[in-house]
Amino acid sequence: MALINPDLCNGCKVCLMYCPLGVIRMEGDKAVIDQEQCVECFVCTRKAVCAKKAIFPGAITTKGRELRHFLSDPTETKSATGVPGRGTEESKTNDVTGRTKKGQLGICIDMGRPGVGVWMRDAEKVAMALARVGLNFEECSPLTAVLKDRRTGEIIDEVRNERLLSIIVEGTVPENDFPKVIAALRAVEGEIDTVFSLGVISRVDAAGNAPFLSQLAAIGLAPPLRGKVNVGLGRPLVDD
Amino acid sequence: MTHTLHRSGPIESLRGDYVWLMYQAKGINDTNIKPKAEEFIAAAEAVGSENWGDVKSGSILELGAENVKARISDKSRLRGIFTSRPQVVEFLRRIKARNVGLSVIISGLLDEVLPACVQAGVTPHTINYSFGVWGKKDLLPSEETLALTTMCGHHQIAPALVEFYRQRVREGRMKPESAARKLAAFCPCGIFNHVRAARLLRET
Repeated sequence: MALINPDLCNGCKVCLMYCPLGVIRMEGDKAVIDQEQCVECFVCTRKAVCAKKAIFPGAITTKGRELRHFLSDPTETKSATGVPGRGTEESKTNDVTGRTKKGQLGICIDMGRPGVGVWMRDAEKVAMALARVGLNFEECSPLTAVLKDRRTGEIIDEVRNERLLSIIVEGTVPENDFPKVIAALRAVEGEIDTVFSLGVISRVDAAGNAPFLSQLAAIGLAPPLRGKVNVGLGRPLVDD
Repeated sequence: MTHTLHRSGPIESLRGDYVWLMYQAKGINDTNIKPKAEEFIAAAEAVGSENWGDVKSGSILELGAENVKARISDKSRLRGIFTSRPQVVEFLRRIKARNVGLSVIISGLLDEVLPACVQAGVTPHTINYSFGVWGKKDLLPSEETLALTTMCGHHQIAPALVEFYRQRVREGRMKPESAARKLAAFCPCGIFNHVRAARLLRET
């Protein structure tokens, strides 16, 4: 875990501005890390943030802290969930995996993004809301790896009070169920103490149009401006 | 991971902001990656990708292109940026011609990326659409700050650090380009668009 050696800290306060979640504070004339809030991203331990080398990456000794670190530090390669990576290949390799098929939508909810962080108990609220409308949780996903019950979206007790920079609630639904997903998200967004960014994955026609976009006006959503476009150059190509 | 999808900021500033990604799929086409990665790097360099990197090692802004190239392996996952549509078009043309067989993704404004696909002669297969930020939005920093912090989708760049450099630029103590490079050093993937960042720092 990220730690500050008080004997080396000279109280310069420089490290405070490097913490993505702002959880380094001064206690007297020394900087301290709020360990309850820290997500172990280790940004403060890199790039010579501390000229006195007072900040250092100490040993991570619990499963909960491992989860925080793995899902918050993109340079960490040792998985803490049993599945590789912090997210999944989602749309990025869909041209060869066929993970999201025609007639389906991939739902990608980046809990805690942008830059607010997320308690797992809030990720659970969103997972449970989507389980109730039939989300088929993605198999190879860190969030799915800590679900106690995929039918309910409940997570295992050991990680409920862990905090991360982000974690993705991901799965698929039939395209026609998109309005139900949006209704569920509108209901749960007021119950969480964080933000999330919503991505929706769809197969598209040759012009880049997705059928589900025709549903947007009826459910009060503005057309998306940004997208991540898989341009179909992966081989062998899947077209189902 | 959707770390390139949800960038924010003024729409006109997003017009100069495209992310390219090279992806292999586990168990399908994830062998012999190094020579394929080198094809991607050659195409990216030929069209002037301003920043790129491999999350396994770092970005060219941090390490230099030759050092990133020297560390390319079969585990590498490359990604980088372009600042104009013609770069995207030419990059896609070159990768298509080389028939590398890995997935290629371009992240950006759809009214820029989709016409680029047409011009390059590639056919979109799947799109991950951004539907913005939901939930307790009063926890977010200012729009001006988010425009910079969201260019590292893993959120390794602290809002307070952005404010620090913005103030340095305002006071004339640092050039926007230098401040943008300082911020880029915290993005290990190489997708921080320091060209756009310098423009945003200059304007705000």
